[in-house]
Amino acid sequence: MGSNNAGTASATTSMNGQPDGGDLGGSPPHSAAANNHLASHHSTTSQLTSATSMFSDSRLVNIEEESKLVYGVVRTLRNLVNKLSGNQDGFISYRTSNYKLHYYETQTGLKFVINTDPSTESLRPVLRQIYTNFFVEYVVKNPLAPVGHPGGEGVNNEYFKAAVDKFVKNLSFFDS
Amino acid sequence: MIYSLYIISKAGGLMYQKDFNEGLAHLTANEYLVFAGTFHGVHAITSKISPVRNSTSSGLEVLEADSFKLYCFQTLTGTKFLIIADPTHANIDLVLRRTYDVYSDYVMKNPFYTPEMPIRSELFDVNIVKLIKQVGG
Repeated sequence: MGSNNAGTASATTSMNGQPDGGDLGGSPPHSAAANNHLASHHSTTSQLTSATSMFSDSRLVNIEEESKLVYGVVRTLRNLVNKLSGNQDGFISYRTSNYKLHYYETQTGLKFVINTDPSTESLRPVLRQIYTNFFVEYVVKNPLAPVGHPGGEGVNNEYFKAAVDKFVKNLSFFDS
Repeated sequence: MIYSLYIISKAGGLMYQKDFNEGLAHLTANEYLVFAGTFHGVHAITSKISPVRNSTSSGLEVLEADSFKLYCFQTLTGTKFLIIADPTHANIDLVLRRTYDVYSDYVMKNPFYTPEMPIRSELFDVNIVKLIKQVGG
């Protein structure tokens, strides 16, 4: 699987001891912009093509196990929402007492998921930006990337990882 | 505007379902049961996949969709109260707790009620409708 923990140490150190960003006061400092899954699926199979965690030591289950669970939850909720509301693309996010999961699905069925602390506003525009600015640029436009990205190959490339990492860390609410 | 109320038992069975306003797609009786069961499962998993280490993790509390918001309140005994409302509707948490009050008064205090079974009580029905009307359903 194309899981990686790039930038874990730097993310953890850079978020501590910084002044509060202001717009999201009251959120616990340990849980800001916690981790980021970029899951893609083709036909009906579940396949994680890229997962980046900023704080990898804090999870309850390992990343491969978790990515399967995340995929299952997201797909189930998407289907539930579509059935209830009658239109596609209805599912935006869900929140528990500990975290909030944001969801974005492209026209081609790629699913982008990002986890944050519960008080963050909707990050659908952010996920859309990750798709249009980084995924399309560095993964789709890469002529050497294999079709369907088996095992996360192609998505697991340096430019994409670095760009997403930098982009997420520079978001105004990343360490607030 | 409140669309509908679900009460799900601790085993994932649908105990009560009522629509108050039009706006969502209509499901068949069987699909409501499937919905309750599926939600029960997803709720359990969402507390497991928390990215932060914190043993006291609740499951899904609010689900946001473009045309509605779903609020879930799980009691200490495991019964789940779900309210599906308009995304702009505020104070649903309060409504959920008051629904729980009505449930305690008219379902749990009814000596003829068998726990975990579907709720068929006229008094409960009447009071739930009254409550939803009060909060602007």
